[in-house]
Amino acid sequence: MDFTERSTRAYRTKQLYTKEELLARESLCVHEQPAFCAAACPLRIDGRELAREVAEGDFTAARARLERAAPFARILAALCEAPCAAKCRLNEVPGCEGVSLPALERAAMRHGCPRTGRGLLRFKKKKTAAVFGAELFTLVLAAEFAGKSYPTTFYAAEGSAAELIAACAPGLGAEDAALAAEELEALDLKLVLGCALTREFVSAEREKYDLAAVSRGCLAALDAWEPDAVTLYCEGARVLARPLDGEGALRAFYDARRAGVSADRLAQGMDPAGSRGEEGPVTSTLYTDLSAVKATKRVPENGVYPPEEAQREAQRCIQCECVECIKGCAWMQHYGKFPRILTREIYNNVGIIMGDHMMNGAINSCALCKQCAVTCPNGYDMAEICLSARRNMVATGKMSLAVHEFALYDQLFSNGEAFLARPQPGFEKCEYVFFPGCQAAACAPEAVWRTYTDLCERLPGGVGIILGCCGVMSHWAGREELFEETREQLRAALENLGGARIITACPTCTSTLAGLGECIGIWDILLDIGLPPDAPRAAGPVTLHDACGARGDAHTQSAVRALAARLGCEIAEPEYSGDRAPCCGYGGLAGYAKPEVAREMTDFALAEAEGLQLTYCMGCRDRYERAGAESAHILELVYGAPAGAPPGLSEKRRNRLELRRRFLRLAGEEEPMEKPEFALTLTDEARALMEQRMVLDTDVIAVMRAYRESGEAVLENDTGLLVTRRRIGNVTFWVKFTEDAEGYTVRRVYSHRMTIETR
Amino acid sequence: MDEQKSYYVIDPEGKLSCHKCGVPLVRSNAVFGYLDNAFPVELPVCPKCGFVYVPEDLAMGKVLSVEKVLEDK
Repeated sequence: MDFTERSTRAYRTKQLYTKEELLARESLCVHEQPAFCAAACPLRIDGRELAREVAEGDFTAARARLERAAPFARILAALCEAPCAAKCRLNEVPGCEGVSLPALERAAMRHGCPRTGRGLLRFKKKKTAAVFGAELFTLVLAAEFAGKSYPTTFYAAEGSAAELIAACAPGLGAEDAALAAEELEALDLKLVLGCALTREFVSAEREKYDLAAVSRGCLAALDAWEPDAVTLYCEGARVLARPLDGEGALRAFYDARRAGVSADRLAQGMDPAGSRGEEGPVTSTLYTDLSAVKATKRVPENGVYPPEEAQREAQRCIQCECVECIKGCAWMQHYGKFPRILTREIYNNVGIIMGDHMMNGAINSCALCKQCAVTCPNGYDMAEICLSARRNMVATGKMSLAVHEFALYDQLFSNGEAFLARPQPGFEKCEYVFFPGCQAAACAPEAVWRTYTDLCERLPGGVGIILGCCGVMSHWAGREELFEETREQLRAALENLGGARIITACPTCTSTLAGLGECIGIWDILLDIGLPPDAPRAAGPVTLHDACGARGDAHTQSAVRALAARLGCEIAEPEYSGDRAPCCGYGGLAGYAKPEVAREMTDFALAEAEGLQLTYCMGCRDRYERAGAESAHILELVYGAPAGAPPGLSEKRRNRLELRRRFLRLAGEEEPMEKPEFALTLTDEARALMEQRMVLDTDVIAVMRAYRESGEAVLENDTGLLVTRRRIGNVTFWVKFTEDAEGYTVRRVYSHRMTIETR
Repeated sequence: MDEQKSYYVIDPEGKLSCHKCGVPLVRSNAVFGYLDNAFPVELPVCPKCGFVYVPEDLAMGKVLSVEKVLEDK
């Protein structure tokens, strides 16, 4: 199979999801849901933010937040019934009390500085408004009208602003009442005090204004019908009033806000009931993890909290937010976005016809490990979204070739040159087939060999061997065609071996091979037939890392633990283990697409890791060892075959070929070793560059062979180095070397994907 | 018409020679191509056999970054 060059001039797109499918996915993410206190508040005051500001000592910001939410915030803070306090999640923790948000509001009003400046210059509206009668509803509504720039007149029977406040908010303390009266006098409205609010007076005065609101007393005097429950508008009398059931201070504020909305709509000649949007309290579906919350009591409020006490009370707020997925995922931490946003951006990215695809990096660096589907309380599955996006990109020719080509060629190598399927010598058909997986053969060939020979000795009915890749690379790369081809190849090989049961040494192989035959983990076999005689019995302390391939497979997770226990391992579990285990950075070909993100995944998985990191996937073993942590696949432990330092890219290939030859010899077949045509030495510098730039020994040999045939090279006069090149597939490889009687010494290697021609 | 613009120019300044033909490389026109995009450049080229030399710092620098940008187009 060849991966042909794609073109940026091909303008094809394919919709990733329908609108409904997209919304169904997005709606699972509750990160942006309001906190429970904010959801319970009909005025939508965000208690979580208020508590944060107070906790930080920023009383001015907290006060400004309240003053933005409602006029006379001082009265609200003093008299609010606080449904938010009952909804505080801290109440659910045994022995814990919810945060007293009204007390924090009072402290904010006391300690916060008032707003300075006059705000934006606003022109008065042409429509005028009047408010009749003193009650909290009319007081707040009058301020709402004034705030909305209606020229407003407030008619009241009381003789002064102080009396008016006392009538509207009877429960208010003396100090607050005095300040509220000052606030009323400072408002941009006309106060007409000492009026006799008779039916005739109100009816006559009302006609002078476009909008009018009345207290319950005036409503009774007008003998009007009850106001509408939603718009608070009395159709006949053409006034706004609070409904009969509207008791309480908070309700008065909420009703005033709703009446204000109706007034705006009436002023514009629209139906007050139409398109008002969402009003009042809502139900939040936010998820809050309470498992680590310690029970605390309220700081007692004697009078208004002094600043320190308010801060102490506010610091009890746990800042309810759902971060379950991001806490355990280095990929989301890297991009700093939540699944809903990521999904929308990926969806848009796939829809781009021309221009930069900014999310390609994110799509291709997800480990596809499905940890989020477990950690998210609603099972948000980013792996499904990223994989569909990759398949979509492949289908429309938008998938970058550079990111997955190396891995795909590695799979083709595993299932081509390095592929082997043989029965156990002496058997034609086998009961079992051992499928160690491509990474085990590449990283720990000795452990694979010893496992196989042990299985042959101790399992009845013959054990065949298949050396190759399960095909997960092509699956991860979104190349379904290649994946199906690989499956067919493996299906045929398994049939030839007698349709045997497959023994795997990697949970990812197990899940990928599902459907091709019954898969049994090597751990299950070893638990069944017992450990080999030389296996250690006191392996000591280890940190066990669950493989992401075993997510949702409790049987495998416990079998590995049982086997480790038989080896005498004292198992320590990382914070994220079992189904919640993160990916090591190998999954989803993340390491090929974004090495830096994959490295963050490895570092996250290894956080606070000490001693031996025990794995049951060779991908994890390889990455942990590479990151400097001592690690071992459980088979290395069982068979006393430590794989040592992680092999380089070319060594991984050589290991697979050598293991294949070893198995061929066992089967009585000998494959002649190809003699090198010429001597080639790689300097340490060249080796390091090849690892970093993903150049294989075989690529360098091919370049040098081309040089021997054509003699084409450039001589750098000042260094004396020769430079030659060859195009292999989609890449041009360049080699800087010296030549002597012994052969060639390669000094530096580099490559590029662009083609170059003369013009 | 004006001569076509060159995105990148490297003069061999006599420091490079063709090993096969035994002549110094000269500054000459070449084109980088990628995903159906073409970038005219001037690079050291052998006047006899036409070998175009792409130095390491160009390949791993400018060329790589343009490749990455085009990959995401």
